[in-house]
Amino acid sequence: MKTNKMIISWSWREIWSGQLWPVMVALTLIIACVVALSTLALRVEKVMTNQGRDLLAADLVFRSTNPVPEELVDKAQAAGLSTSSQSRFQTMAFSDQNLQLVTVKSVETSYPLRGSLTLRDAQQSAQKQVKPGELWLSPRLFSILESKVGDTIAIGDAELAISGTIEEEPELAYNPFNSIPNVFIHSTDLDKTGAIQIGSRVRYRLFINGEPTALAAFQDRYELQPGESWGDQNRESRAVRLMDKAKQYLSLTILMVILMAAVTLILTCLHYVRNRSETVSMLKSMGSSRAWLRTWLTTQVLIMFISAFVIGSSLGLLLEYLLRVPLADILPQQLPSIGVQPFLFALGVALCIGLPALLIPLTRLLDAPAINVIQKQAVTYSKTSWWLLLLPFTALVVFYGGNKLVWMVLIGLLVLFVVLAGLSYGFLQLLGKIKWGAALSLALSRISRAPKNSMMQLAALSGSLMLVALIWLVKSDLLGDWQQTLAPDAPNVFSINISPEQQQGYLQALDQAGLPHSDAFAIIRGRITKIRGQDSAELPAYQDPEVRILKREVNFTWMEQLPDYNEVIAGDWTGKKTVSVEQEVAQELGLQIGDTMTFEVNSQPFTATVNSLRAVEWQSLKPNFVFIFSKDAVADLPSTWMVSFRAEEDQTPLVNELARAYPTVTLLDLRTMATKVQSLLRQISWSLTGLAALGVVAGILLIFTLLRLSLSERKREITLYRTLGASKKRISHTLWAEYGLLALSGGFVAAIAAEIILSALMIWGFELSPQWHPSMFVVLPVLAIIVVFISLRSVIKGLLKPLR
Amino acid sequence: MSQSIINVENITKSVISNDNELSILKGISFNINAGESVAIMGTSGAGKSTLMSLLAGLDQPSSGTISLLGSTISEMDDEQRAKMRSESIGFVFQNFLLIPSLTALQNVTLPMLLRGNEDQAANELKAKKLLAEVGLSGRETHLPTQLSGGEQQRVALARAFVTQPKILFADEPTGNLDQKTAKTIVELLFAMNKEQGTTLVLVTHDPELAKRCQRTLIMNAGQCQESA
Repeated sequence: MKTNKMIISWSWREIWSGQLWPVMVALTLIIACVVALSTLALRVEKVMTNQGRDLLAADLVFRSTNPVPEELVDKAQAAGLSTSSQSRFQTMAFSDQNLQLVTVKSVETSYPLRGSLTLRDAQQSAQKQVKPGELWLSPRLFSILESKVGDTIAIGDAELAISGTIEEEPELAYNPFNSIPNVFIHSTDLDKTGAIQIGSRVRYRLFINGEPTALAAFQDRYELQPGESWGDQNRESRAVRLMDKAKQYLSLTILMVILMAAVTLILTCLHYVRNRSETVSMLKSMGSSRAWLRTWLTTQVLIMFISAFVIGSSLGLLLEYLLRVPLADILPQQLPSIGVQPFLFALGVALCIGLPALLIPLTRLLDAPAINVIQKQAVTYSKTSWWLLLLPFTALVVFYGGNKLVWMVLIGLLVLFVVLAGLSYGFLQLLGKIKWGAALSLALSRISRAPKNSMMQLAALSGSLMLVALIWLVKSDLLGDWQQTLAPDAPNVFSINISPEQQQGYLQALDQAGLPHSDAFAIIRGRITKIRGQDSAELPAYQDPEVRILKREVNFTWMEQLPDYNEVIAGDWTGKKTVSVEQEVAQELGLQIGDTMTFEVNSQPFTATVNSLRAVEWQSLKPNFVFIFSKDAVADLPSTWMVSFRAEEDQTPLVNELARAYPTVTLLDLRTMATKVQSLLRQISWSLTGLAALGVVAGILLIFTLLRLSLSERKREITLYRTLGASKKRISHTLWAEYGLLALSGGFVAAIAAEIILSALMIWGFELSPQWHPSMFVVLPVLAIIVVFISLRSVIKGLLKPLR
Repeated sequence: MSQSIINVENITKSVISNDNELSILKGISFNINAGESVAIMGTSGAGKSTLMSLLAGLDQPSSGTISLLGSTISEMDDEQRAKMRSESIGFVFQNFLLIPSLTALQNVTLPMLLRGNEDQAANELKAKKLLAEVGLSGRETHLPTQLSGGEQQRVALARAFVTQPKILFADEPTGNLDQKTAKTIVELLFAMNKEQGTTLVLVTHDPELAKRCQRTLIMNAGQCQESA
């Protein structure tokens, strides 16, 4: 028992004074990062799922162009699922003063099953459900219809008194062409409107809530009929796509931080083993058994793991809190609980990396022969513990097996390490052929004398610099892309349904009001009927449930010139009776340049030839179209016009005035939504920046450890130079020249490697267009030199202390 | 008649170097009695250190037998030899080989710990006494880096004697020390050796140090001769 006490206290001393502390720092860093990032990821994921469901107003939605089959409702209720149904249609709303096209949502009292509906009456009190006999209006309708609470509005045949304003509603649409002001009525009042008749366009929804497994089983059992579809939160909002990328970035950063910490761990551990083999030989000479040595080493490993776990977990929670601060506004007050999962995951990761990294070198330590205390001998190490390497690889395959990004980074790293370390070594060899000053020549000759060592250093230095650059660049490119999506001057109000006669006057009114606006675009609604002469219903794409464009009406437009924010990726905008197609749709439909397509507008067929394919940024709020025709193809067809403009908050009266002057024009005011999305992006950016900074810190810690270890191992050599009479100045110049050259070439190599991997990540991982970052070719070498300078200054000073 | 404590019979040691067999020890035999002090001298490369590592059971001879305290250690495996070392053998090295992360006191108690003596209080008492004997009272809590070379070797002496070994092997114990300090260490070594009645086997280049031993073995090109 007392022996154990002594071994424990000795182990502590070994850790602190025996250079094992960097191992513990690296382990702690791994645990802290994994706890922080996985806790955050878990929380955000839960919040997002909840918000996705809020947006959907339920866990699952059944949509149909026909009334929801009663059998389906019965089955859902039998399966213990709760349901609520909705019918929606567009009709005119009439007040005594005005009229407006509105979307009527007729809902049951149980609506919504998820998310929040807030209705505010004249007394400013809020209610959460729609009751029979009530009528609730979107705020904008009050000014358009020039009405107030209590006034009677005719919705179709029904006359209802306005109950109040819709302050907040789920199912927010983000599509400018579908979003017409909403009104809520109760389902019991639906018949009174007379809107549901044969041929009327009513859409039906059944909202369903329940356990995920029950929902999945229910969904599987029902076979969808034509005109029916399911909606769940995974394919609904654009925000989900955005957050998906943020999540991908999160897991990429976790992996890179772990990778760097693991390398730090291995390097420091190898260094410890080299330093301590003499001690082990000595202990063996004094008669310690292998079992005793094993206890001694195991105690150290255990202490390190336990301390790293305790400190790392606490640090991780603190870190998660700090990363969460900028997200406070997006995350709900009451955060979903995280349980023990992140801690178990962190422990698992630490064990998977730590066990092989620590035990393989430490078992080698056990092989240090006792005779080394008297005569140094070459040791043949046993390879029995190498099976431990299976741990991290198996874990990688199990957890990241399907993650393209992760494998891309790992394989990229491996290949680039080998190729680029070789290249930069060649570059240094080439430099060696030129005549330089004494210090540089000495440094170059040393690098080429120990090629294996120099290559390792170069590979590790450029590798860690590359990871640091990658973490930062991926973040910047992602954010850049998002910022572009919602530029501060992006349009935030759309006017649609402008008649050809109104078009000129409307644009003039916008100019007079000083509201910056886009060109006017013709909107022609039609269908695709044939591709290359074949009926669209006979095309293979028609059977694909993901391809909806063949089954619905599409907005067409015509232009003299393609918009400059659409990039033409194939073909040319030339020719008569031609059409330019968005590339993803072209791919879905298998379209090639020169293919003929037949369309139908108001039962009038017409044909056009595909002349070009375009890349379209759908997230941006700029007016975009799948099909843009040459003027001669469609200009004679009946059309309405659309224009988008930007209005600031204080310009609301101007917007309202416009709405009154053109009552038939529908205004889609996205200002609140745009502000919301912008602030969301800003907050996510902050967190990602925090995360990236963490990755950079881990990388710099690695480079720091690496350099200090490599230099401290040269102590003997430097003492020898000093003994042989080399001046301090000569040695320090040579060392600085050597490490300066390593830093310079390592930085340069890292910049090339980062650009290559970054492009691959952007194209295949994040599906964005890659960019070049020429500044990296300056930043990385300079950063490398700064880190080299900071980390080596004190070591070089120490090494050059007067000889004793 | 004194009892034989180390018996060496016709041992050889050869190693393979660059595909050539290199013979380091060529059929050496001698006997050392309990309580004797024996110096092993010879030129560099004569095989002194190799002989000592074989005598102490740190390595195995290529042929021949070595008996220590009546047991044939040349037939023991690694673990058995380690046990034998922990029970009966002490070491003093040229470069002290103290554990840098342990205090002077902990360095001295270490051999007892390895031997399985778990009574820490008793171990410390013994260690303190020995540290006082080598003149290091009050320096118990110092780390090796806080001690001079001479002081570190004194700690090593205390560590070597703390288990009251039957045999003490000293490899150039004064090789890294200045003359004055070396003298003090030699005095201490012989005084403690006498007090405990330990058998001393000493490898040295120093004829003066060898003279203090009862016998001197001269190594030359892998052969061993008793000095007159």
